[in-house]
Amino acid sequence: METLVTFLRLVLLSMVPFVLASQGTMLGGRTGIFNVAQEGIMLLGASLGFLVSYQVGNNFVGMLAAMAAGALFGLLLAYFTTTLKMNQFVIGLSLFFIGVGLSTLLPKLVIGITLSPPLIPTLPEVSIPVLSQIPLLGPILFRQNGLVYFSIFLSLVLWYFLYRTQRGLELRAVGENPMAADSLGINTVRARYWTAIAGGALIGLAGAYLPMVYTGTFTEAMTRGRGWLAIALTFFGGWSPLTILTGSLFFAGVEVLAFRAQVIGLAVPYQYLLMVPYLATILIMILTFRKARVPAFLGQNYDREKRNL
Amino acid sequence: MKTLGRTILPYLIAIAASFAAAGIFIAAMGFDVGRAYQTILLTSFRTPNGFIQTLLKFIPLTLQALAFTVPLTAGKFNIGGEGQMIVGGIAAAAVGITFSDLPPVILLPLVILAGVIAGAFWGLVPAWLLYRFGLNEILTTVLLNFVSFALIDLVATGPWRDTTAGHPTTIPIGQGGWLPMLVSNPPLHSGIILAVLVAAGIYVYTSRTTGGYELVATGANPRAAEVFGINVKRMFVFSLVLAGALAGLAGSIEVAGVHRRLIEGMQSNFLVLGLIIGLIARGNNLAVPFVAFFIAVLEVGASAMQRTLMIPVEMVFIVEALVLLFVLLSDVVRRR
Repeated sequence: METLVTFLRLVLLSMVPFVLASQGTMLGGRTGIFNVAQEGIMLLGASLGFLVSYQVGNNFVGMLAAMAAGALFGLLLAYFTTTLKMNQFVIGLSLFFIGVGLSTLLPKLVIGITLSPPLIPTLPEVSIPVLSQIPLLGPILFRQNGLVYFSIFLSLVLWYFLYRTQRGLELRAVGENPMAADSLGINTVRARYWTAIAGGALIGLAGAYLPMVYTGTFTEAMTRGRGWLAIALTFFGGWSPLTILTGSLFFAGVEVLAFRAQVIGLAVPYQYLLMVPYLATILIMILTFRKARVPAFLGQNYDREKRNL
Repeated sequence: MKTLGRTILPYLIAIAASFAAAGIFIAAMGFDVGRAYQTILLTSFRTPNGFIQTLLKFIPLTLQALAFTVPLTAGKFNIGGEGQMIVGGIAAAAVGITFSDLPPVILLPLVILAGVIAGAFWGLVPAWLLYRFGLNEILTTVLLNFVSFALIDLVATGPWRDTTAGHPTTIPIGQGGWLPMLVSNPPLHSGIILAVLVAAGIYVYTSRTTGGYELVATGANPRAAEVFGINVKRMFVFSLVLAGALAGLAGSIEVAGVHRRLIEGMQSNFLVLGLIIGLIARGNNLAVPFVAFFIAVLEVGASAMQRTLMIPVEMVFIVEALVLLFVLLSDVVRRR
C-alpha cells in the first residue's frame, strides 16, 4: 500500500509538465495554430527559469520569466504564420532550433563554465489543511507542490471556458472553420494571436518545472523529449482539456514506472526501460489516432482575401 | 545569371545583416567582436588542419540536411535524422566488428551498406506508421531518436565494449572496414567523395528524373498529384526511407572514416544543424551542400574561438539563428 501511494504521488507530480505543455499546445491548436516548438520552448523555459530563479533568489520570478519567454515564442509563431502566412511547421522547427540554442547559450553567459552547477531550492510541498489528513488520498492529492494544483485547476478552467462560454465557442469555431467564424464577425487574427501567446507561456512554464522540481539545476537537453511527447498527448487527448488531463496520468505513469524499474534494478538492461515511454507513446498513437478528434483547420493559415481555403 | 543573382543576393544580405546584428550583441557581452569574427570566418582557411576539420564536419552535415530536405520535397518532415544516423552507425560497427577479418574489398562496402540499410529501416518505421495508420511523421521520427539513444548506449556498453575507454565506446572495427584516406596528415577520409556524389545524385534525381518530378509534384500539391495518378502515399514512404538511408550513410561514414568504432554521442548536434541547414536552404537540395559548408566553417571557427578567445562556442548559434530568420523574412519580402 505504501508503494502504491508513493507511486501515485509521483505520477501526479510528474504529470505537471505534460499537462501544462499539452494544454498550451491544445489552446493554440483550437484556433488552428499547430505549435511544434514545444521541446525548444520547454528547454528555454527550463534554462531561463533556472537562471532567473538563481539570480533573483525567487522561483516564482523564474517561472514568470520562463512564461514570458514562452509567450514571446508564441507571439513569433503567431506573427510569422498568421500575419506573414508562412508554413507553421517551418516556423515551428525554426523556433525549436532557436529555443534549444538559447537554452545552452544562456547558462554559459550568465554562470560561465563550471564543474559543479549551482543549485536552486526546489518547489516546496503545499499541504492543504484538513484534506491532506485523509488517509491514502491525502498524501496523493493534497500534499503536492503548488503547480500540481495549478495544472489541475487550469485544466478545469480551460474546459469551462471552451465548452461553457460564448467566447470559448467562438474560439473553437476559428480552429474548425475560420471562414464561417470570420463571417460571424469573430476576430480570427486576434484569437490566433492570444491563444498562441498564452499557449507558449504554458509551455515555457512546463519547462521551468523541470529544474524547479526534479533537479534544482539546468542540464542540456533535460526535457528528454517531453515536449514532443506533449504533442502526442494532445492528439491522444483529442485536443480537449479534460481528456488531456486524464491522458497525462498515463504519460506520467509510464515515465514513473520506467524510472522506478531502474531504481529497483529489474533484470532487464536499463536501456530497454529508457525506450519504454517513447515506444509506449507510438503504440498509444497507433491505437487512438484514428479516433482522435482534431480541429479541422489545424496547421493551416487562414487568408481572408482568398476565395476558397 | 540574373536568376542566380536573385537566389544568392538575399543570402548575402541575410548573412551580412546577421553578422552585424550578432556583432552588436557579442560586443554588448564584452567580447572583442573583430577578433571573434576573424577566428570564426578564417580558421577554416588559414591552416590545412582547419580546412580538413571543416570538410569532416561538412560530410555528416550535408547528409543530415539532405535527410531533412528530401522528404520536405514531398511535403513531409523528417526530424529523425539523428536516430537514423545512430542506427546506421550501430549497424556499420556491428558488421565491421563481426567480420573484422574480411579484406577491404568486401568489408568496406558491407560496412557502408549496413549503415545505409539500417538507416533506411529506421526511416521505414515512421513511413509505415504514416502509410498504415496516418500517424504524424514529425512525432514518430523524433520519438524514434530517443529510442536510438538507448540503443547506442546498449551496444556501446555491451559485449563489444572497449573497457579501456572511459566513455561508452566499442572496440575498433576491422581494418578492412576503414575508409581509405585521401590525405594522410591531417587525416581526410574518402567519405567526402561519397557525400559529394550523393548530394549531386539527389540533385539530379529530384530535378532531372521522372521519379524525382513525382516527388516534387507531391510536395507542391498532393491533391493535384493524386489526380494525375501519382501514388502520393507511396511517395511519402519512399522519401522517408531515402532520408533514412542518407542519414544512415552519415552514420556509417562516421564509423568507417572518423572514429573506426562506435562512440556514444558521435551524432553530436548534427540533427539541429541539419535542420537549420535545410531550412536556410529553403528545402532546396542544390543549395544544401553550399549552406552545409558555410555552417561547417562557422562551427569549426566557433570552437577555435572558444579555445583561443574563451568566447562560448554557442555564441555562433546567434549568427546561425539570425541567418535563418533573415532568410525566412526575405521569403516574405520576395512574395510582396
